[in-house]
Amino acid sequence: MDNSLLVSLSHQLASYRAIDVIANNIANASTPGFKREAAKFEEFVAMMRPAEGQTGLQPVSFVKDAGVMRDTSQGNIQQTGAIYDIAITGPGYFQVQTPAGMRYTRDGHFSLNNEGNLVTSQGYAVQGDGGAILIAPSDGEIVIAPDGTVSSVLNGVANLLGKLKIVDFANSDALTKQGSNLYSTMQTPTVPANVGVRQGALEASNVQPVIEISHMIEVMRAYEATASLSKSQEDLMRQAIDELGKMPSA
Amino acid sequence: MRALSIASTGMLAQQTNVEVIANNLANMNTTAFKQQRAEFADLLYQNIQTPGSQTSDQGTYAPNGIQLGAGVRTAAVYRILTQGDLKATGNPYDCAIQGAGFFRVQQVDGTDAYSRSGNFSLSPQGQLVTQDGLIIQPGIAIPQNTMSVTINSQGQVNALVAGNSTPQTIGQFELTRFPNEAGLNAIGNNLYLETPGSGSPQAGVPGSTGYGTIQQGFLETSNVNSVDEITSLITAQRAYEMNSKVISAADQMLQDTARLGT
Repeated sequence: MDNSLLVSLSHQLASYRAIDVIANNIANASTPGFKREAAKFEEFVAMMRPAEGQTGLQPVSFVKDAGVMRDTSQGNIQQTGAIYDIAITGPGYFQVQTPAGMRYTRDGHFSLNNEGNLVTSQGYAVQGDGGAILIAPSDGEIVIAPDGTVSSVLNGVANLLGKLKIVDFANSDALTKQGSNLYSTMQTPTVPANVGVRQGALEASNVQPVIEISHMIEVMRAYEATASLSKSQEDLMRQAIDELGKMPSA
Repeated sequence: MRALSIASTGMLAQQTNVEVIANNLANMNTTAFKQQRAEFADLLYQNIQTPGSQTSDQGTYAPNGIQLGAGVRTAAVYRILTQGDLKATGNPYDCAIQGAGFFRVQQVDGTDAYSRSGNFSLSPQGQLVTQDGLIIQPGIAIPQNTMSVTINSQGQVNALVAGNSTPQTIGQFELTRFPNEAGLNAIGNNLYLETPGSGSPQAGVPGSTGYGTIQQGFLETSNVNSVDEITSLITAQRAYEMNSKVISAADQMLQDTARLGT
């Protein structure tokens, strides 16, 4: 089999994966706390048998997807006005207790459940320094300080209710996405030095539409080029078979 | 080719977003309407290569894996329960709640519903009722030949009846709070129902700790901010457009593939 067709095939498969990652970024352009991702490719060198006139094994480069990199840069802070919407400004994740264990998220859209616990939109309890954070209807106005301290102000007197637990990881690229804006990991959480949260706001997704669309065009055109390369290879082979396979005329 | 289905989840999500914005704008002038907001979450991921997987027996690990997403879904459409502005109407039976709490009304089937819309009127029997004729609870009856009615900020209703020199107390408003007010079920007509998610109702006197006060002669306007909504509408429309561009790009790639064999 001709190597050039296989090299084209490896690029076509990689392009499919790249466009899938771009599609997921664009689909999540309005998902709070979403971090854009980029497919990363690497060269894979295989030693192939020599062509005529060459000696020894010859290197042929294929393309291979090495990983999906996450861009963990800060998303824009979007004012929503809901008192339990909390955006993290800077590094860190909220810690959330789920039936499957601890999960981490940067989506700070929280509300209260029927018992008055602060929960995510799936109903999982958001963790404070001493477990779940409980807010009673009689607590008055709820104020969340920039360091994550949750307190209520009633008749001018502040009452401490808890402190949001914000954690970070040594390698935040290695967090596994679980869907529903949650991440899981086996790493031990660390406490970041300077925590910043903002009440009444959400962190928007950091997807940059211009970058994604231009990436998409780039992938699409590269795919087109490879496809036409495969096509001309195929034409070449067909022609060779036609010409060489002709019965000599008597 | 996953891109096609991923982009279609994106288009569906933005469609929901536009619908929520449309409903907010349509209710801009609805008394005590509370703005809603759609919130999204990413779908499950397929692990092609798990992050942190070992790449050799020397203890080297892949710094990042290959996780392919499947798109987006609407995680919640939630209500933002901030206070709306108070608008003076001069109608003695218009009551606005300044602060937290809901009025309790009795529906025709006898069960309770809750509302922040305080544009009350009198029934033929002199009962204070909502615009749909639902009696507010506890019932407040205005005696005949009443000259004027005053409702103070603690919800006490006083009526000056013809022939009397001093007003007499004829009723008391009550407000209801819930542990999670965003979990109430909106049933239209400015009414909300209790749900397992909202927690059980807790009644209290207006002006007491944690409860709002009553303002007679005012109505609470909706808390929809038109500038906010129009900005969100533009964002949603552009996001929809971009998702459709992904579909055409994926389609183009598939066409290129199909052309290979011809």
